[in-house]
Amino acid sequence: MSENTIGKKSIDWVDRRFPIVDLFERHLSKYYSPSNINIWYLFGFLLLIVLVMQILTGLWLMMNYTNTAEGAFSSIEYIMRDVDYGWLIRYMHAGGASAFFALIYLHMFRGMMYGSYQKPRELIWVGGWFVYVLLCAEGFTGYVLPWGQMSFWAAQVIISLVGSIPYFGEDLAIWIRGDYIVSGITLSRLFAFHVVLLPILIIAVVFFHILALHEIGSNNPDGIDVKKHTDQDGVPLDAKPFFPYDITHDFYALGVFLLIFCTVIFFFPEGGGYIIEYVNYEPANPLSTPAHIVPSWYYTPFYAMLRAIDFPLFGLTAKFLGFVVMAAGIAIFAALPWLDRSPVKSIKYKGIYSKFFLTSFVISFFVLAYLGSVPPTETKNLLAKVFTFLYFSYFLLMPIYTRFEKCKPVPERVGETA
Amino acid sequence: MKIVFYALIIFLPSFLFTAGEYRCGSIECDSFESNVSDKASLQRGLSTYMNYCYGCHSLKYSRYKRVAEDLEIPLELYENNLIYDGSKIGELMEISLTKNDAIEWLGAYPPDLTLEARLRRPDWIYTYLRNYYPDASRPYGVNNRVYQNVNMPHVLEDIQNNLSQVEYDQVIFDLTNFMTYVADPSAEQRKRIGTYVLLFLIIFTAFAYLTYREFKKDLK
Repeated sequence: MSENTIGKKSIDWVDRRFPIVDLFERHLSKYYSPSNINIWYLFGFLLLIVLVMQILTGLWLMMNYTNTAEGAFSSIEYIMRDVDYGWLIRYMHAGGASAFFALIYLHMFRGMMYGSYQKPRELIWVGGWFVYVLLCAEGFTGYVLPWGQMSFWAAQVIISLVGSIPYFGEDLAIWIRGDYIVSGITLSRLFAFHVVLLPILIIAVVFFHILALHEIGSNNPDGIDVKKHTDQDGVPLDAKPFFPYDITHDFYALGVFLLIFCTVIFFFPEGGGYIIEYVNYEPANPLSTPAHIVPSWYYTPFYAMLRAIDFPLFGLTAKFLGFVVMAAGIAIFAALPWLDRSPVKSIKYKGIYSKFFLTSFVISFFVLAYLGSVPPTETKNLLAKVFTFLYFSYFLLMPIYTRFEKCKPVPERVGETA
Repeated sequence: MKIVFYALIIFLPSFLFTAGEYRCGSIECDSFESNVSDKASLQRGLSTYMNYCYGCHSLKYSRYKRVAEDLEIPLELYENNLIYDGSKIGELMEISLTKNDAIEWLGAYPPDLTLEARLRRPDWIYTYLRNYYPDASRPYGVNNRVYQNVNMPHVLEDIQNNLSQVEYDQVIFDLTNFMTYVADPSAEQRKRIGTYVLLFLIIFTAFAYLTYREFKKDLK
C-alpha cells in the first residue's frame, strides 16, 4: 500500500485517536497460536458466530413477540405465519440454541482432553464455565417464552426444585415465580432475564474469557508451552499469527458448520422433536399435565441425575438431594483446574487412569443424556445411579489418579519426540 | 439356561409395559407421507375441513387469505364459498362456537386444530380418522382405536358409508394433507429457499477451503 491512499490516511486518522492498529496486531495479526492445534480448536470461533446469530435473530423475534400469558403462544404463530421470513428467524434462533450447546460441549471436551484448564489458564476455564452456566439459564428462560405445554411444565418442574430447599425453599420459589404457580408474571420476568440481563452477562463474560485467553495464548494437543522458544523478536517459533492463518481455517470450518446447520433448520427444523418439541405446539394449560415432562436434550444428563436420587438421606428429601446433585454436576466443572494434579496437560501424555476416567466420563454423559430423555423405569433408574456415580468419579478421584499414575514425557518443541 | 432366565426377568417387564402403548393408542400408526405441493389434494382437504370440521374446530392462527393464496384459490371464489360468517378475507379463521356453549352442548371445548399436525403429527391424524368403530356403550355409538373414549362423534360417518374404502382413504388423505399444510404453511417456501442456501454454502465452503489451503502452504 502506498503512503497516501485514502485507506491509509483514514486508518492513520483513527489511529491517532484510538489504538486501532495496536488492537488489530495484538489480537489478530501478532496474536500467535500454536502450530499444532487441530480441528478441536475451531469451536470457539463457531461459538462466537452462533452468539452473534442468537443476538441478532433474538432482536428480530422480540420485535413481534408478546410477553404475556394471553398473547405469547399466538404471537409465536404470528411470527411463523404473518411476519415476512419470521419462520426463518425463529428456526434459526431455536436451532441456534441447540447448536450453541452442541458446540459448547465439544469446546469443553477439548479443554478436558488437552488439559487446557491447567495452570496458567485457570481463569480462562472458570470464565468459560461461567458462560456455560449463564447459557443454561438463557436456554431455560428462552424455552419458556413460546408458552406451550412443555414451556409451562418445564418451568413448573425446574422452579419447584428451588422449593425443595429446606426452611425457606417454598418462599424462595414463590419469590422467583412471583406467583403460587408459574403464570404470566413468571413469563414476563423470565422474558426480561432472557433478553436483557443474561445476554449482557454472557457478552461480558465471553469478553473476559477471550481477553484472558489472549493474555496467555492457546494450549495445544501436546500441552507444550510454545512461548518457551522464541526468535530474537520474541515471536514463538512453534506458532503462527491468528490472522490470516487461523482465521482462514475458521472460515472454512464456518462453511462446514453452516452446511450442517442450514440443512437442519431448512429441512428438519423440529430436529425430530429435539429442537422444537411436538408437545409445545399445544398452548400452556395449567390444568393438564403432559404424560412425560422432559427438558431439552442439552439438559438431559443433569435431569437424569436429578431423577436418579430417589431416596431421602440425613433428614433431607430426595427432591432436594437430587437438586443438589444436579447442580453439583454442572458446578464441578469449575473445580477442574484444582482437581487435576498431573504434571502434564494433554491426555496424550497422561497415564492409563486418566484415559480410563475420561472415557468413562464421556460414556456416562451420553448414557445419562439418553436416560434423562426417556420415561424412567426401575432398571433405567438403577443405570442412572451407576452412571451418575461414574460421572462424578471422573472429577472426585482426579486428585488421586492424576498424582499417582505414570505419565509419558512431554517433548520440548512441537513435532519433536521426548 | 440361567442366562435365558435372567434375560426374561430383565426384559419381560419392558415388554409388558410397551404393550398397548403405541403412539396411536391401541394400534400402530399407519404410514402417512404428506404431499403439500399437490394443490388439488389440499383444496379437496380444505373443502372437507370447512364443511365437516370447521363448525367446531377453529384454525385461529391461520388467515383465510393465506390459505386461499397458498392453495391457489381465487380470492373472490374463496370469499363467496368458504367464509360463512361474513369475516373479511384477511381475518383469522375463528369460529362462532363459544367455549360455554360448547361445554354445555358437547361436554368439552373442541380444540383449535391449526397446529394439530405438528402436535400429534400427520400419521396420527390419518390413523385416527380411519379408526372409528361402532360401540353401543358410548354416547354417540362410536369409539376410536387411536383415541379411546374420544368425545368427538364420527362426523365423517356419512362419507364413509357412501364411499368405498379406497375412496374414503383418499378423502382422509386429502384432509390430513391439508392439516399438515396449515400447521406449517411455510414448509414449501422453506425447502425452496433452503436448497439455494445450501448451494451457496457449498460454493462458499469450497472457496473458504481453497483460501485456507493457500495460506496453509506458507506454514510448510
